[in-house]
Amino acid sequence: MKALRWALAFLLLVGLAIAANAAEVAIPPAPNAWVTDTAGFLTPETVDALDARLRAYQATTGHQILVYVTATTGSTPTEDWTERAFARWKVGRKGIDDGLVMFVFPNDRKVRIEVGYGLEQTVPDAIASRIIRNTVAPKIHDGQPDQAVVSGVDEILAVIGGEAAPAPAVATPAAAYDEGDSDQSPWAVLAGVLIALLISGGVLWLISKIPDVKGTYISGGNSSGWGSAFAIGGMLIGGALSGGGSGGGFSGGGGAGGGGGATGSW
Amino acid sequence: MSRALIALGVLVIVVVVVGVSVARTYNRLVTLDQAVQSQWAQVETAYQRRADLIPNLVATVKGAANFEKSTYVAVAEARSRVGQLSTGSSTPNDAAAFAKFTSAQDSLSSALSRLLVVVERYPDLKASQNFADLQAQLEGTENRISVERMRFNDAAQAFNTTRDSFPTVFVAGLFGTRFNEKIYFQAQPGAATAPAVKL
Repeated sequence: MKALRWALAFLLLVGLAIAANAAEVAIPPAPNAWVTDTAGFLTPETVDALDARLRAYQATTGHQILVYVTATTGSTPTEDWTERAFARWKVGRKGIDDGLVMFVFPNDRKVRIEVGYGLEQTVPDAIASRIIRNTVAPKIHDGQPDQAVVSGVDEILAVIGGEAAPAPAVATPAAAYDEGDSDQSPWAVLAGVLIALLISGGVLWLISKIPDVKGTYISGGNSSGWGSAFAIGGMLIGGALSGGGSGGGFSGGGGAGGGGGATGSW
Repeated sequence: MSRALIALGVLVIVVVVVGVSVARTYNRLVTLDQAVQSQWAQVETAYQRRADLIPNLVATVKGAANFEKSTYVAVAEARSRVGQLSTGSSTPNDAAAFAKFTSAQDSLSSALSRLLVVVERYPDLKASQNFADLQAQLEGTENRISVERMRFNDAAQAFNTTRDSFPTVFVAGLFGTRFNEKIYFQAQPGAATAPAVKL
């Protein structure tokens, strides 16, 4: 009976591992830009302009807003796919969860606005749905994909507020946004690297003590010294690389979402 | 050194080792159990969110000219059954309570989808901004429910896998029903296709 149960648990585990793997294949890794178009849906100029705008928006307000266009979600239902992508990319700041992604799937004729937990009050489903059904979907339907996405983003940013150079005459309480927040991340990264160095240094020191006590089992001499030098060097390079990454392109801030938002089609 | 003293020493060591490992296993189970309970709270919140939309939805369709009364009455009744459910963190451990919860929620789901089918016959209602907003909220809520259910199953699976693995399964057994296996949500009939509502 118990053996049977273990066998079942094992099968379940294997099945879940396979399922998780299949899902990983379908969901792309986090994009390195704010606007991504793998389907040739938007003109390159629109992609660049919108990307610069959303990058600046994040720099001023801290909110991570992305646009992601890809041909199709395949056999996966749209909401399933977008929720998993959002969870994988970790859009928005950790703990604040102020991420939002506008997905467009031209082959499926679907638009979805996926909203992080922290923006659910600001961009409730009804508002997201209105933006899609009154602005984005009709414009795509009329053969204006660029205008559709740009004005969709316009409306989203107007709802959330805090854009540096507000174009429309919508008065939003921009003062409510704390611009100091985005300065925290470099210090957090530095602190993280320092702590990692200290801990790994301590661990390496401990490891280096083991062969001395039990004899030269691992390989005596100076090897542990070299090992720690390599490890620290590697970590410095790793830290520098990841630091450079967050400065250059988009990288997820650790935000989470629970499937909030709206879907529409044209 | 007498034999008895050595035996006593060995016994003390064995007791300490067993005690420590039981305590650690217990703590690990408690951590996983807490994760399941907090995820269960998320599931309940998502369902509550849906229940909160019902009065507004019923009021809106009532306003439409001669809307079929039986459909929204069925929704309101299913809603009140959901309202009577006892909430609590023990539900995932209790097969009967779990079944009661899911059957009440599922009957609300099917009453709602019947109502949405009927709405198709009322183009004026369907086209109104008010109803379109409600529909978007309803869809968003259904989506949240399915996301939280999936995360609940993940948390329950993490708990069950640890609980049923060797030797934890013996430790879990020591505490009676405290560490019962968690129950999973079954796939809803037709869950793979989200309620097809055209905008």
